[in-house]
Amino acid sequence: MQFVEKLIHFLVPRESNNHKAKILHSSSLIIIASFLILFQIGLNSLSKISPSILGYASNISIQEVVNLTNQKRTEAGLSALSLNQELSAAAYTKAKDMIDKDYWAHTAPDGTEPWKFFGDFGYKYRYAGENLARDFSNASSAVNAWMNSPTHRENILNPKYKEIGIGVTEGDLAGSDTTVIVQFFGATYADKVVQPLAGATTELPEVQLATTQPTAVPIAVSVIEPQVQAQVLISPFTTTRNISLFVVGLLLLVFVIDAILVSKRRITRVAGRTFAHVAFLGMILSIILILKAGNIL
Amino acid sequence: MPHYISLIFIFIAGIIGFYVFSYDTNFQIGVAFALASAYVSWGIIHHTIHKDICLAIVIEYITVAILGMVITLSLVYRI
Repeated sequence: MQFVEKLIHFLVPRESNNHKAKILHSSSLIIIASFLILFQIGLNSLSKISPSILGYASNISIQEVVNLTNQKRTEAGLSALSLNQELSAAAYTKAKDMIDKDYWAHTAPDGTEPWKFFGDFGYKYRYAGENLARDFSNASSAVNAWMNSPTHRENILNPKYKEIGIGVTEGDLAGSDTTVIVQFFGATYADKVVQPLAGATTELPEVQLATTQPTAVPIAVSVIEPQVQAQVLISPFTTTRNISLFVVGLLLLVFVIDAILVSKRRITRVAGRTFAHVAFLGMILSIILILKAGNIL
Repeated sequence: MPHYISLIFIFIAGIIGFYVFSYDTNFQIGVAFALASAYVSWGIIHHTIHKDICLAIVIEYITVAILGMVITLSLVYRI
């Protein structure tokens, strides 16, 4: 009975809470915000105590990423890219490098640039490009995220690229189990000299995005498909999102009930405009629904 | 009523900003700060015009804005 009384005190305006639901008082809102911050700190600590608990379980197929990329190119009237095994091995090595050295960037902390991986696998590029993605649950959402970003879209729809390599791997990145996708684009000098013309002058090599590296002896390569994780993982994003939805949903409901009862009872009180608060929380709710897991670089 | 239209317009612009620049985390953080500031400013201006401004009301707008910021940023940083 006492619990019900307390619940009413928290959620319904009446004399005991100065005609304003206790949960809507500024002190309560600050307590809720503090709890949410503490929860995020706890979530980060969890990754240090039990690194295998947090993560984004996903199953990304290399072929699907290639197909979706080529679909976008075809829709834009461009030729499809062919999957190059050397590029794929280079992309996989870059993905493993990020996991092993625990970084999320185009350039490694030791200064290693992505183009080094091209050279390591004997890919003599004329043009080269790199797209990175992490924490996506499927290939489609990763490719769509790249397409929504002007710079990544430019890479996908660049007519200079002829070949593609995809590397996908899972591992611990900054305390969370993560699936990393590395998308390498390239065109070799051979692509340019396919149609030699008699009397044509030789073009000077054009190097976009990177300088040419000396070609190493090609290494035998194998593209490793990621293993699907069987363990159940707690996704930090999904957990945060669900808790945020609950908090905002509850506050919106209480604000509406509060507004109806205060208006019905004709109570005059010193308070902000309920409509403004509801509109603000409605916007926060929309943002929560818009935000999707996954990061691109 | 015109006050509320401007507020709704700001919020719609914020939602569109989050949607269009879904790939740009820094932009989203900037938009979150801008929206929270705009909301508090709107509250202060609105209540000043209605001559019912007081510290409790300002604190109320600030706390709602802080809560909204904490929720938004905790998600943006988790992306």
